[in-house]
Amino acid sequence: MLEPQLWISVLEIGSFYSLLALAYMIIRQGAGLLNFALAGYAMLAGVCAVWATTTLHLPVWPALGVGAAAGILASVATEFLVVRPMVKRTENEELPLVMAVAAVLFALEQGSGSIFGRTNMRGLRPFDFPPILVGEAVVTPTTVSLVGTTLVVFFLYSLWLHRSRTGRMLRAVGDNSEAAGVLGFPIAWIRFTAFVIAGAIVSVAGIVFAQKAGISFRSGLPWALKGFIAAVIGGSGTEWAPLVGGMVLGCADVFVPYYLGGAALDYSIFVIAVVFFIFRPQGIFAERVRA
Amino acid sequence: MTQAGGVRQNLIALGLFVVVLAALLLWVGASGYRQDLVVLSASFALIALGIYIPFLLGGLLSVAYSAYALIGSYAVGILALYTDWPIPLAWIGGMIVAAVVAVLLGIATARLSGFHLVAVTLLFSTAFQTFLTDAESITGGSRGLLGFRALDFFGYPVSRQAQMIVAVVLVGVLGHLINRLASSPWGIVLQSSRAAPLAVESNGISVTALRLQALALGAAVASLGGALFATYNGGVSPETFSLQTVFVAAFMPLVGGVGSAWGGVIGAVLGIETTVNLPAVGDSGSFIFSLAVLVVLVLVPTGVLGALQWLLKAGAAAMGRRQMPIDKTPQEKLS
Repeated sequence: MLEPQLWISVLEIGSFYSLLALAYMIIRQGAGLLNFALAGYAMLAGVCAVWATTTLHLPVWPALGVGAAAGILASVATEFLVVRPMVKRTENEELPLVMAVAAVLFALEQGSGSIFGRTNMRGLRPFDFPPILVGEAVVTPTTVSLVGTTLVVFFLYSLWLHRSRTGRMLRAVGDNSEAAGVLGFPIAWIRFTAFVIAGAIVSVAGIVFAQKAGISFRSGLPWALKGFIAAVIGGSGTEWAPLVGGMVLGCADVFVPYYLGGAALDYSIFVIAVVFFIFRPQGIFAERVRA
Repeated sequence: MTQAGGVRQNLIALGLFVVVLAALLLWVGASGYRQDLVVLSASFALIALGIYIPFLLGGLLSVAYSAYALIGSYAVGILALYTDWPIPLAWIGGMIVAAVVAVLLGIATARLSGFHLVAVTLLFSTAFQTFLTDAESITGGSRGLLGFRALDFFGYPVSRQAQMIVAVVLVGVLGHLINRLASSPWGIVLQSSRAAPLAVESNGISVTALRLQALALGAAVASLGGALFATYNGGVSPETFSLQTVFVAAFMPLVGGVGSAWGGVIGAVLGIETTVNLPAVGDSGSFIFSLAVLVVLVLVPTGVLGALQWLLKAGAAAMGRRQMPIDKTPQEKLS
């Protein structure tokens, strides 16, 4: 485990998973559901940004804006058209909502495939510079943008969560949504805000990560699962927990194939998920709700 | 219901089935393409029926069905290529293996539900697909297994048309049996365990065992779907039943209607028709199908069958036959 280049890879992949996990946590706090579809927003943003440069011939930065707007729009549409009417109807039943977010993810994948094409695309590079040698490892623009974006997002989110009115309300709803409702908190508004913020975060994540791994309409489902596991591993005790969960999963993602071969990765991800879900479902950083 | 009434209903059902089968045979005619379409629909109908048992009766959203269908397919492939035993043995063998795998997976995930269960079973399907690609010496890797010998019945070759009929008959028989099962004591206890597991448990019935039985049964039925498909096509690869196809299969019973096993069959026909056979929409069929799923989930939670039933009753009432009271849809009852 001494190869510095592998650790750079861990940082890159881990950053991406952390952002997905953070979005899972935000929507879970605001709406009480684990929204698989958010990986679909990430995929949509990435694919749409590439499409904006190749088909609309936009320069890189406006194209990134178009992509991010598409991702956020998809997130808001999910809230308005699917989650809001269904939460009203199915109060105690989880299953219809699970199927609904799965259907949204599937619709996003197939829709992107139909509109933007079913090929593998190379992600956009917001800025470029020659690779820098740090010790024995090479740091590329991809590394800088992925890790940098992640740190900025987590920092801003933490600031928002603790300093802003809506941020504090989100924490209250996440801790006990019924009590918050009784106290007259605007639950629907908070849920909407959670979807907007989570949509923005995953859109940025998808766009930035696309330059590392490439992107296609089929990226949604694998990302959804990885982000979900990262969210469970980290737990929801603090807003930094997804960062830890993402990095732990990033380690598995990089070192298992390197030492044990590619097939071992899928087996070990399944085992990691079963072990964490069953023996430590609250994650590394457990939530301590004040009694 | 009286004994005679039950017999009469069964006869009506049988008659209806014969009519549907005859209509299908007329529609297919000599077209090989339509034959393929019917077999594909029948295979997916079986997978959807398999999903129906644990999911809609028991509330267990285990989605490892691509793995179960693949087990059925590869059982046929391995038996056809490496032995000279009759192929239907592989159908039964695949069903047993799938049921055992489902029980093991069910034990490992017994404490999970909802989102967590979906995630773990999807990861299992991914891992299983990787295993099929990786174990090249047995499974042929990503190319899969090809060129199975044709199905025969004690030495007599079974034509593709006959295979199609077998597939449709199997769907009919299993759909009927599963509907019977749903209203049997076992099915009723299973449905109660979804709403009130504690009440069932306190009556001395193990909910865990009940759920494992439902999962095993569902896996076996889905595996038969995969086996039929592989037998008919004479080949299988890990991509034959991908994670994406299992999504489509899981949506089928919802679209068709959750109140009856036939909902899964109708959903399968609609799903295959839109995703494979609608020339007007090109490759957007899956997109349209997923939008239809969302519309059903949000607006008509009873599915196509439920909506039809409601329309029929409303229509009958509007025509003045007031003896049939209009049932409110579950959606209205809740609001």
